[in-house]
Amino acid sequence: MQGTDQQAYDRGTTIFSPDGRLYQVEYAREAVGQGAPVVGVRGADSVVLAAHAPDRSPLAADGDAEKVSSVDDHVAVAGAGHAADTRQLVDLARRRAQQERVRYGERAPVAELGTAVADHLQEYTQTGGARPYGTALLVAGHDGDPALVEIDPSGATQSWRADAVGSGAGDAIAVFEDGYGPALGDGDAIALALDGLDAAVEDLDAADVDATLVTGTGTERVDGDRLAGALGDAS
Amino acid sequence: MLFRPWPLAPVVKPTRHSEDQTAGQTRGGRRPLHERDPGLVEDAGPSADAAETGTTIVGVTTEDAAVLAADQRASVGGGRFVTNKDTRKVEQIHPTAAAALSGTVGHLQQFVRVLRSESRLYADRRGDPPSLTALSTLAGGVLRSSPLAVSPLLGGVDDEHGPAVFTLDGGGGVLTDDYAAGGSGMQLAYGVLEQDYEPDLTPSAARRVAARAVESASERDTASGNGLTVATVTGDGVETDEYNAAGEVA
Repeated sequence: MQGTDQQAYDRGTTIFSPDGRLYQVEYAREAVGQGAPVVGVRGADSVVLAAHAPDRSPLAADGDAEKVSSVDDHVAVAGAGHAADTRQLVDLARRRAQQERVRYGERAPVAELGTAVADHLQEYTQTGGARPYGTALLVAGHDGDPALVEIDPSGATQSWRADAVGSGAGDAIAVFEDGYGPALGDGDAIALALDGLDAAVEDLDAADVDATLVTGTGTERVDGDRLAGALGDAS
Repeated sequence: MLFRPWPLAPVVKPTRHSEDQTAGQTRGGRRPLHERDPGLVEDAGPSADAAETGTTIVGVTTEDAAVLAADQRASVGGGRFVTNKDTRKVEQIHPTAAAALSGTVGHLQQFVRVLRSESRLYADRRGDPPSLTALSTLAGGVLRSSPLAVSPLLGGVDDEHGPAVFTLDGGGGVLTDDYAAGGSGMQLAYGVLEQDYEPDLTPSAARRVAARAVESASERDTASGNGLTVATVTGDGVETDEYNAAGEVA
């Protein structure tokens, strides 16, 4: 009976199950768990976002596929799960950041941007005929203070000192729980981020990592040599 | 007893009106902000106390730089009463482009905000800020399709043009020239430019020529005055300074 009931409650985002669950949202979280992992580490005055972005085949031409995307001058975003869903949400974040600039003449705070994107995700859990987004986002930014926010497919937001989403996220988080300390410098934050990613991914290759450092002066892609060095130290 | 499954959720179009629609939209996509949201460049109608800049604006190109200059007066009644003596009319738009603006103050301020945000969105999406062709075409489109009463000069540097100055109008026209003037002091400024402009000016000489043109116009055009703002745009960026008199410009 329970099996049949579950099947019945599966199909709509507008239906709660008798035990108070939205199955479509939970299934979206499953999709996130299948996606290549993304980690974030907040340091004393910076935030690192690092994503595993392996080439699917030697024929793939996107050697430098953007998996960590910049939003305005002060924010970087990456997602785990359905890449196309992530891509749409990144553009949403970019548009909202610029609309805030036009409206208020100043940069949007990171929390504000995160909430705006999260509101949008929430709408798609409460609308018939549409499915939730199959992606969880990590939003890293600096608006006077460094900030790292996770947004999950339900539209829930959570600020973190260090976090991971996607496959192997639990292993990365275990590394962060052990190794995180207050007042991490940029280099230490990068090293810890790679440490976590290394735990989440079997045989991590620095060439398959796309990482961005966000500081008070802006966002900057971490170059391959620095990544390889940090990864070498990590293992 | 036959088990009757719950009905499938009805297909209902999202009724939430959200300018942030992504799924299932027909009017979204990767368009500029002002096309998705025309409200950014709309105008509620004439306002009796809307300040105008009147203005004299000037642009001069050199081999390595584009120079823009403007006066600093805002007024009502076309120069009948000065409402501000410190008005910024030369604004950076992106790393290698700036604008000198005349028109209704509120409109030109919104125009700058919109152009800056469109440039940043363009850069986020495509990796680099817009070329001068892209920026001037976009700006012309905004002016043509919106009621914003702004007549700007764009000045900047890009790979295709090198340093360049563009004159934009309310019809969306984009015209390029080695030097240009705009605003209520335009004709007075052109008098100076026709005498003093030469093709091989240094950036410093170009700044002085532009400043003299603005200052001369300010002598006779009551809607222009109260000092100068001068910006120099090169491939390395935009530098902006304010002066009380053209004699101070180097």
